[in-house]
Amino acid sequence: MHTGSRLIQVSIKHPKLITLLMIVVTIILGFMTIKVEVDTDPENMLSEDEAVRVFHNRMKKEFDLNDVVVLGIVNEEHPEGVFNPVTLKHVQELTEFVWGLSDPDDPDRRVVTRNLIAPGNVDTIEQAGLGQVRFEWLMKEAPETQEGAIKIRNSAMDNPLLKGTLVSEDGKAIGIYIPITAKDFAYDVRKRLIEKIETLDKSNGDHFYCTGLPVAEDTFGVEMFVQMAVSAPLAMLAIFVLMLIFFKKVKLIISPMIIAIVSVICTMGLLIGTGNTLHIMSSMIPIFLMPIAVVDSIHILSEFYDAYKENHNRKQTIEHAMDELFRPMLFTSLTSSAGFASLALTPIPPVQVFGVFVAFGIMLAWLLTIFFIPAYVMMLSEKGLAGMGVPKQIKKDGRGSMISRFLRYLSGFTYRHAKLIISLTFITLLIAVYGITQIRINDNPVKWFKKNHPIREADTVLNRHFGGTYEAYLILESSEQEMTTDMTVKWIKDEIHELSGTLSSPLVIPEALESLNRLIKDDISMDQLIDSLMETWEGKQDLADNDEYDAWSEVLDILGRLENRGQVFKRPDVLYYVDTLQDHLLTSGVVGKSNSITNVVKKVHQELFEGNPDYYRVPDSVPAVAQCLISYQNSHKPNDLFHLVTPDYQKANIWIQMKTGDNKDMEAVVRSVNEFMVSNPPPVALSHKWAGLTYLNIVWQDKMVTGMLKSFLGSFVVVLVLMTFLFQSPSWGLIAMVPLSVTIALIYGIIGMVGKDYDMPVAVLSSLTLGMAIDFAIHFLERSRMVFSKTGTWEAAIKEMFEEPGRAIARNVIVIAVGFTPLLAAPLVPYITVGVFLASIMALSGIGTLLILPSLITILQSMLFRKLKGVKT
Amino acid sequence: MKIMKILLIVAGFFVLGLSVHAQETPSVDEIIDRTNKAAYYAGDDGRSKVMMTITDAQGRAREREFNILRHDVSDGGEQFFYVYFQKPSDVRKMAFLVHKHIDRDDDRWLYLPALDLVKRIAASDKRTSFVGSHFFYEDVSGRGVAEDSHEIVEVTDEYFVIKNIPKNPGNVEFASYTVWIDKNTYMPMKAEYVDKSGNKYREVEALEVMEIQGFPTVTKSRVRDLAEGGETVSKFMDIEYNIGLDENIFTERYLRRPPREAR
Repeated sequence: MHTGSRLIQVSIKHPKLITLLMIVVTIILGFMTIKVEVDTDPENMLSEDEAVRVFHNRMKKEFDLNDVVVLGIVNEEHPEGVFNPVTLKHVQELTEFVWGLSDPDDPDRRVVTRNLIAPGNVDTIEQAGLGQVRFEWLMKEAPETQEGAIKIRNSAMDNPLLKGTLVSEDGKAIGIYIPITAKDFAYDVRKRLIEKIETLDKSNGDHFYCTGLPVAEDTFGVEMFVQMAVSAPLAMLAIFVLMLIFFKKVKLIISPMIIAIVSVICTMGLLIGTGNTLHIMSSMIPIFLMPIAVVDSIHILSEFYDAYKENHNRKQTIEHAMDELFRPMLFTSLTSSAGFASLALTPIPPVQVFGVFVAFGIMLAWLLTIFFIPAYVMMLSEKGLAGMGVPKQIKKDGRGSMISRFLRYLSGFTYRHAKLIISLTFITLLIAVYGITQIRINDNPVKWFKKNHPIREADTVLNRHFGGTYEAYLILESSEQEMTTDMTVKWIKDEIHELSGTLSSPLVIPEALESLNRLIKDDISMDQLIDSLMETWEGKQDLADNDEYDAWSEVLDILGRLENRGQVFKRPDVLYYVDTLQDHLLTSGVVGKSNSITNVVKKVHQELFEGNPDYYRVPDSVPAVAQCLISYQNSHKPNDLFHLVTPDYQKANIWIQMKTGDNKDMEAVVRSVNEFMVSNPPPVALSHKWAGLTYLNIVWQDKMVTGMLKSFLGSFVVVLVLMTFLFQSPSWGLIAMVPLSVTIALIYGIIGMVGKDYDMPVAVLSSLTLGMAIDFAIHFLERSRMVFSKTGTWEAAIKEMFEEPGRAIARNVIVIAVGFTPLLAAPLVPYITVGVFLASIMALSGIGTLLILPSLITILQSMLFRKLKGVKT
Repeated sequence: MKIMKILLIVAGFFVLGLSVHAQETPSVDEIIDRTNKAAYYAGDDGRSKVMMTITDAQGRAREREFNILRHDVSDGGEQFFYVYFQKPSDVRKMAFLVHKHIDRDDDRWLYLPALDLVKRIAASDKRTSFVGSHFFYEDVSGRGVAEDSHEIVEVTDEYFVIKNIPKNPGNVEFASYTVWIDKNTYMPMKAEYVDKSGNKYREVEALEVMEIQGFPTVTKSRVRDLAEGGETVSKFMDIEYNIGLDENIFTERYLRRPPREAR
C-alpha cells in the first residue's frame, strides 16, 4: 500500500509548480469574493416560493403591512411619565426625523410615512363638546403646557386601538412604530435614530430604546460580519500558537495555516462566484471549515514530526507519513464531507448552500493536504528541519511531554479497565438519552444578542411597558360557498316574503315577485339576473309615490344584502366572534394586545354615543356596523381601516402584539388559536392562517429541526456504509460509529439537561459533530489495524497506539478545542454557542476515541482480530 | 343669477372678440373670487347624482353613490349642502348636512339610519376624508378663499396659474397648492398640492366640463394620491340648477325624512 507516496511524487518533484498552481487558483477565486452580496434576512431560511412565505407577503400587500422598527421613549422620573411637554417635544422631533427617512443611495429603502404610528400621525376620534364627535390628530403639535400633555394622554388612553400600542398603560412610555419598505433598512434606521437621539437633551429623564425583529435581524447580520472578521482570524491565531507549542517549528506549522486560509478563500470565492448570497449560515463556513481543514495536516505533521528524527530525510519521512495516513485521511474527509453534504437534504436553501460548500471545502482541504503539504515540506531545507522530532532515548525512557506520559498511562488503563469504561459509558449514555428527551426546541433572533446588548435591553424594557414588540398577524378569511342561481332565486323570494306586513305599501310585494318570476330564464346567469332585477325595480321606484318609494327601497335593499353576502366582516355575529377570539388570545399570557376591525367598530360606536362606555360594543345589524365604519372613514387616515380588513370585507387581520418572540411562545399561541377555533366554531365558515415575522420563524425552525434530523440520520447511514467499506468489516464499521454516537448523545443530552434551547446553531452543529467525531475513530482504528498487523497482539499494539497515533489525536483535540475559545468572547450568542460546541465536540470525541475505542477493542479483540489475522497471515 | 349667466356669455364674447389683442389679466383677487363662484355657486341651488369610485394603491375599487343638494344663501357666501347616500346599500339613507359658513367653522350633521342617530360632527378640520375617498370635505364644499394668500405665477394661453399659500400652515397638511384656472370659464381645471418637503403629493383634476343650463359644470373629476398611489373618480349625473329647493330641507329634522329631491 503505497498509494500515498505514489500520489505525492508530483509534489515532491515539482513543489514550486504545485505551490504556484495553488496560489493562482486562490487568487482567481479570491477575486470572486469582491462581488459579494450580503443577505442577512432570516426570512430567506424559507425558499421564495414557500407557501407560508408567499402567503405572508401577499397579506403584507393586501393589508398594507410593513416590517416595523420600534422606537420606545420611556420616562420614569416625571410624575406624569412621558406626558410632559419636554418628552412630547422629543417625540415630535423624532417623529419628524423619521418622517420620509430614506436611503440616499436607494430611495426604495425608506420609511413608509403613511403607516407611521406616532402621536403626530394617528387620528383619534373623540368628543368635541355639544354632542359633537371629532376626528383629530392625537398630537398635531407638541403641547406647550402640562395640561396639553395630559389631554393627549387621556385621549390616547381612551382609545383601545392606541392604548398598549402607542402609549403604555402606565403612561410611562410612548412607542413609535416605524414601518420600513425593506428589512435590511432597519439597521440604518436604528443607527440614524441613535445619532439623532445623541443630540437630544435627556436631562429630564427620557430614555430611548430601539428594537423590533427587523432591527434584531438586520443588526445581527451587520455585527455578524464584523464578528466574522474578528473571530475567524483570532481562532486562526490561537491555532497557530498552539501548534507552535506542539511542533516548535514555525516554518512547518505555517503549512496547515496556509491550507486553512486557501480552503476558506477558495470555498467562499466559489460560493460567491456561483451567485450565492452571503447569508447568516454561509458566513459561518470559515469557522466550520478551519478546524476541519487543519485536522489532516496536523495528523501529517504529527507523524512527520515524530518520524523525522528516524531518518532525517524529509522526502522519506513525508512518503512514510503519506502511506500511513492516506487512507484514514481520505476516509475522514469523505465522511466529514458526507456529513455536511447531507444538509442538502434539508428543505432550507441557506442550509443546503452551507452544507454543500462546507463539503466542497473539506474535500478541497484534503486535496491541498495531499499535494501541498509534501510540496511545502520539500521546499524547506533539511537544515531548517534539523533538531526536530522526539529524541528516541526519551521515548524509550518512558518520559517525554505531559501528553506522551498521560497517553502511555491511558493505554494501560484502558487495557486493564476496559469493562469498567464500557459500563460507565453505558450509564452516561442512559443519562444522555434522558437529557435528550428534555430538549426544548426554541429560538428567538433577539436572543442572538447577549443580555447586555442595547437591543436585548430595549426588548426587555419595551415589552415590560407595551403589549409587545413582536408582531404576528392572524388572518381570518370567509370560506363561504358561492350560491347557485337557484339558491339565489329562492333566497330573494324568502327575503321578499319576510318583508310582508312591514311595508307601508304592501302591493309592492306581489309586484316584486312578479318581476322576479318573469326574469327567471333557464340560461340566465346570477349576475345577469341581479342586474336586470335591479334595473326593473329601480324603474318602478322612480315612478312610485312617497310610500311606495320607501317600500321599493326596502325591496332593493334585498339585492344590496345579496351583493354584500360575502362581506362577512360586517356581520355583528362574526365581529363578536373575533372579539371572543381576541379575549382568548390574552389568556395565553404571551399576547399583550391585539387589534382588529372589531375594536374599530366598538370604539366608533362608543364615540357616536357620547363616549359612553356602555356603547363600547358591536352594534346589532350589518348596516349599523357599516355606518360605524363609514363614519370612521371620515378621518384623516381612512385607509387605516384596511390594515385590519380588506375592502371586500372577506378577510380580516387580527394584529397581534406579543411580549416575547420565542418560537415556543409563538407555537403556543398558534396551538391555542387552533384549539379555540375547533371548540368554538365561528358563525360562518372561516379559515385562519398566520403571517408575520414571528410566525415565519417557527415555520423555518420546524423545517430546520426535522430537516436536520433527517439529514443527520441520512449521513449516519452513509458514514456507516463508508466505514464498513473502509474496514471491509461490518463489526469494525459499527465500532467506528461508537465514539461519534456517544459524543452526539452526550452533547445533546447536556443541552437538554442545562436547558439550553435547541436553536439554529445547535441544529447545524449536529453535522459538524458527526464529521469531527468520526475522524478520530477512523484514524485510531485504521492505525490500530496497521499496528496490530505489525505486532500481532492487541496488548502490544495498544501501547504503540498511544504513542504517535494517540499524540496526533490528542494534539488535534487540544488545538481545535482551545483554538476556538476566542469565540467565547463574541458579543453574539450563536458564536459563543459554536465556540463552546467545538470545544465540547473535540473534547468528547477525543475522549470517546481514546477511552472507549481501546476498551471496546480489548473486550472484543478475539472477534475483531480473528478475521484480520486470517487476512494477514 | 340670470345676470351672472348673461355676464358669462358677454364675457365669452368679450374674450373671443379681443383674443387677438394682448388681454389684460384681472387681479388675483378677482380671479379667485370668480373661480370660487364658478366652481361652487353656479345657480341659486342645484342637484346632482354622484357616482364615486375609490381605487386604492392596489387597484381595489369601491363604489359610493349619493345625491347632493345645494342651496346658496348668498352668492360666494353661506351655503347649505345635503348629501343622501344610495350605495353601498348598507349605508342607504345615510345623510350628511353641511351649513357652510364663511366667518366661522361649518356646521355638520350626520344621520346614521341603522343606529337611528343624528350626530353633529365637529368641522374645525375640513381636510379629513369624505367617506373614505381621496376627496376631502373641503374639496366638496370649497376652501374659504380668505384662508390662503394667492399669487399669479403664470398666465398661459388657456390658464391662470395661481399659487396659494395657507395663512395658517399648522391647520393643513400642504405647504402650498397651485391651481390652473380656465381663462374662459374660470373653472379650476387642476390643483396640485405640495408638501412641506416640496414634493407634489396630491392632484385634483376636472376631467370633463360640460355646460349645463348655461353653467360650465364639472361632470367628472379625479383626485390622485401621488405619494402612495390610489385615486377617486367622481362622475356627476342628472345635474340640475335653479330647481327652487326649499331652504327648510337643509335642517336637522329632514335628515331622518329625506326630501323627495334628495332621493
